[in-house]
Amino acid sequence: MTARDAFLSAPTITQTSVSNDHLNWLEDEAISILREVFGGFERPAILCSCGKDSLVVLHLAMKAAAPGKLPLPIVHIDTGHNFPEVITFREHLVKKHGLNLIIGHLDDSIKKGTIRLAHELESRNPYQTITLLETIEGNRFDAMVGGARRDEEKARAKERVFSHRDSFGQWQPRAQRPELWNLYNTRIAQGENFRVFPISNWTELDIWNYIAREDIELPSIYYTHQREVIERNGLLVPVTEITPPRAGETVITRDVRFRTVGDISCTCPVASTASSADEVILETITATASERGATRMDDRANDAAMERRKKEGYF
Amino acid sequence: MSNTPHSAASRPLRFITCGSVDDGKSTLIGRLLYDSKALMIDQLESLANSSKTARGPQSKEGQLDLSLVTDGLEAEREQGITIDVAYRYFATPKRKFIIADAPGHEQYTRNMVTGASKSDVAVVLIDVMKLDFSQPAVTLLPQTKRHTAFAALLGLQHTVVAVNKMDAIDFDASRFERVVTAFGELAASLKIKHFTAIPLSALDGDGVVAHTARSAWFQGPALLPHLESLVLDDAHGTSATAKAHVAVQWVTRDVSDDHLRWVTGDVAEAAIKVGDAISVFPSGATAVVAALRTGRGDTTTAEPGEAVAIRFDRQVDIARGDWIMAGSVSDTPLTQRASATLAWLDNAPLTLGRRYIVRHGARWLPARVSAISSRLDLASAEWQTGDGAGAEVKANDLVRAEIEFAQALPLAAFAESAARGAFVLVDPGTNATAAAGMIQ
Ligand SMILES: Nc1nc2c(ncn2[C@@H]2O[C@H](COP(=O)(O)OP(=O)(O)O)[C@@H](O)[C@H]2O)c(=O)[nH]1
Repeated sequence: MTARDAFLSAPTITQTSVSNDHLNWLEDEAISILREVFGGFERPAILCSCGKDSLVVLHLAMKAAAPGKLPLPIVHIDTGHNFPEVITFREHLVKKHGLNLIIGHLDDSIKKGTIRLAHELESRNPYQTITLLETIEGNRFDAMVGGARRDEEKARAKERVFSHRDSFGQWQPRAQRPELWNLYNTRIAQGENFRVFPISNWTELDIWNYIAREDIELPSIYYTHQREVIERNGLLVPVTEITPPRAGETVITRDVRFRTVGDISCTCPVASTASSADEVILETITATASERGATRMDDRANDAAMERRKKEGYF
Repeated sequence: MSNTPHSAASRPLRFITCGSVDDGKSTLIGRLLYDSKALMIDQLESLANSSKTARGPQSKEGQLDLSLVTDGLEAEREQGITIDVAYRYFATPKRKFIIADAPGHEQYTRNMVTGASKSDVAVVLIDVMKLDFSQPAVTLLPQTKRHTAFAALLGLQHTVVAVNKMDAIDFDASRFERVVTAFGELAASLKIKHFTAIPLSALDGDGVVAHTARSAWFQGPALLPHLESLVLDDAHGTSATAKAHVAVQWVTRDVSDDHLRWVTGDVAEAAIKVGDAISVFPSGATAVVAALRTGRGDTTTAEPGEAVAIRFDRQVDIARGDWIMAGSVSDTPLTQRASATLAWLDNAPLTLGRRYIVRHGARWLPARVSAISSRLDLASAEWQTGDGAGAEVKANDLVRAEIEFAQALPLAAFAESAARGAFVLVDPGTNATAAAGMIQ
């Protein structure tokens, strides 16, 4: 029996629901972390990709600020290779909540020459870090709040809630500061900054339960829709201008939803008919592929990919 | 919207695995994740790939090396050791768990302390293959003692001793008992009131989710059912007369009325209620709570652990770093000098008399350590005064010290209030977190 078969045939004792109290506990922890950012930094911002995790963070930030107004801007790193639904959603969100949106355009970095693409249709995901660091420097941000979760990936599982970055934006995994109780050491020298992760302790299941409970709006591509795709290496690759079919490949139309939103060139949907957060939860409970593995082409490359990117300044 | 405050019963149980290098911490966590199906297929496949190349010295042919589940950093995989604490999540139908997988190497103790400060339970692994059973008394490894001491001082609510690799000694019950006796002595000198010891094999799974024929002689629970059954008490130490304290994190204005100010922070020690009379540290101002909000909306009561926004019945001068204290000014005594336990974490040793920066609540202020009164000797697990006590305080040392703050603070003994009893000491030159402090 292969390890995979053994795993699949093992008795399931996975839980199927998340209690309200449990979500309240996570919510309070996140709100408290966000208030540390509001009160403890001069120029903080929230990084918002309009993905579900960053939208949960934004929702929590508005709760942490209430009944006051959100005291910090939202930053979107725009690769220029977006799903149009996500950009429409971004504009809608800004209007609805009166957000102060700052966009870091990858195209600006390309124009400046700080990013050089090998070829026009290359995945822009690896280059986001450069535009992100330029946006941080240009705005002199001292804390960037992000929606990373520790259950996503091995390197993230090791990261502190308040993650110190040097003046080159680098993470030094071997020299992380101890983090004791909720007494965060937020002291920095000139030019350094923090990445802050209020939903570090949330799992994907928690996120979806919270989205359902709080009725948090997401871009439409998170729910089932028909899309032209190609089956390639076990992934459903969406057919777009940037990711056209290769010679000999057949385009098919499938019911799909996205589990993350990112650069068009490297984000794949999964087959799904889930049309609400509750239906996604049902699917998530039975999911057998962890989130990043199923949907991100670039993370498949190797185990250490994320850690390397983080060291360079990626979220 | 629902307005149930979270209770200790329904929040996740956070436990830290401690012990020396190679005691089997990573294997045990891999086993728990595997047996509770918290691993996903692709993680499993990547594990199967890694197991072929990097294989632990004692892993058996054809078996997945479950320890590889948790080692997340490149340096860790290359060197085959755990450097930093990794957090893992899994759930059973009964409970959700957050595991802090702490590194075993002495030089990474600071990362173990990081994990322990946010844990409820210490699971101390003991590797029976490393113990000498030829002598009448079994001697535990120094790192087992060190981790247990840190966990005890950080006030973790429960201690579980996982006596691991029992498969290697044929699940010998008498050797297990001798390990329990040795740990009992350590627990007594560290004032750990209660612990549960469980014989198991992280590698084969006996005693983890359930006991097997090999461990059937053992009368107690298996590890996972035991963790599921542990009762958490978040109000530990606080008496019925405890009063609410809130370290102020941030102050904001109501969008609907610029004159209304809201003060935010986490409730500690006791519930705060609309109508409560409060005083403010340091101004001494007094006011009455007029309105409260949590993430769930408006409320009349906020429980300890809840993140709250508070509005008062009058304008009060208040800012980040202040404290809101239920009752009158005289209800919370202020102290400037205190005895504290310091867990020294920085590579740079302590300099007596030097000005450090301390964080207490949300307040930063200067402080200095004036004297060392005793230090924990790991061999005997006893606090030693006298000559040795005054020697250099280095990374991973535990000492009792006299500390003087630049200002009198609403301090409390750590055993009574973690919120007012804990502080961190920061090196003002490097901004490194130098020590964890607990008021005695
Ligand atoms: N015989 C035996 N070996 C074990 C057991 N648990 C762990 N090991 C082995 O001990 C070594 C160290 O385990 P690991 O989990 O990496 O230890 P860590 O350093 O505490 O995380 C590995 O080779 C494991 O295969 C056990 O229950 N029985």
